[in-house]
Amino acid sequence: MPHESALAIAPWTLCVVTQTPLAELDDSALVAAALDGRREAFDIIVERHRRSVYQVCYRFVNNHEDASDLAQDAFVRAWKGLRSFKGQSALSTWLYRIAVNVSLNKVSAKRAPTESIETTDQFEDVRIEGAPQAILRKERAAAVRRAIASLPDKQRATLILRTYHDMSHQQIAEVLGSSVGAVKANLFHALTNLKKILGSEP
Amino acid sequence: MTHLTSAELIDAMEGMLIPERAAHLAACGACRRRLDDLSSVLNEAKQVSCPEPSPLFWTHFSHRVRAAIDTEPAESRNAWPSWLRWQVLLPFGTMAMILMALMLAVPRQVATDSSENDVAVMDTPAADSADALEMLVGWLDLETAGAAAVIEPGFVEQAFLELTSEEQQELARLLRAELSREKS
Ligand SMILES: [Zn+2]
Repeated sequence: MPHESALAIAPWTLCVVTQTPLAELDDSALVAAALDGRREAFDIIVERHRRSVYQVCYRFVNNHEDASDLAQDAFVRAWKGLRSFKGQSALSTWLYRIAVNVSLNKVSAKRAPTESIETTDQFEDVRIEGAPQAILRKERAAAVRRAIASLPDKQRATLILRTYHDMSHQQIAEVLGSSVGAVKANLFHALTNLKKILGSEP
Repeated sequence: MTHLTSAELIDAMEGMLIPERAAHLAACGACRRRLDDLSSVLNEAKQVSCPEPSPLFWTHFSHRVRAAIDTEPAESRNAWPSWLRWQVLLPFGTMAMILMALMLAVPRQVATDSSENDVAVMDTPAADSADALEMLVGWLDLETAGAAAVIEPGFVEQAFLELTSEEQQELARLLRAELSREKS
């Protein structure tokens, strides 16, 4: 993950920050500029991280409407809490943490049975394979989504960050506020449970 | 030798297993089967795609976020001017503490000035700055005070030079406003 932050910057650095085009600043400088009253700096942060924040939310809710609402909520919370971002981890790690938390709050309030899983393969071209295979593949993908949705929160979050965001165990630990050992344990249990659930699928 | 633990199986899946345990894995069919199971279910999960929204969505999304933030209450915004961040206040707090210590160490020469003189003195920039520093001591929060303990020598003077006399007067005005707001 890029842009390790260091917010403990000297006053004269602020002068440099205010003179440099925002798009050229790294994340920590953008945070400093946003805290300094430059509202457009936060727009650049949103632009830079919106896709990954949206995608992590999508993996929890499996539909576009909820994912875009959650991603928006995550950024609003980030804006409100920007002063509490201390720069010990990368801004992306901090944003992932917020996105995971808002997503878990949402899915905990509205657990699997009522969760509507969007058929995400609707945009894919099925002509490249036979119709029966395409249907089987879609059904299997839906089964995997259901299985992931049924995992306990920490296992689910760990699996999502490892599988779809290609994060290291250390990065996942930072996002989830746990240890590397706990990440490994959660990943192991997530995969074992997933195998069990998928094995019992018809 | 014992079979791989769950953590070691995860390490093996990530290609991070230590050589001694990798030797066991190479020789143990049971551990290899468990590893294959984990790897195959991870690969199956990876196949599940996330749809890519249209490029237009992202512009719309940014506007939505901006609009949502604009409806947030004003108190979450930064009301202090740009040069008056804690990076500036921090060294000033330290400087104020040093000045306060000096003031306590040196006997006061004039303690009975008239109230008119007080007003006149307060109107001069130099007195304003000294006053501002004194007020800063009361204003700085605990976190800033804690950080002040590790401030480098010379940083205070350097930060002082960063501010113009107008900024020093503005600092005094803001601090007075802040203190009167806290009192009320
Ligand atoms: Zn073994």
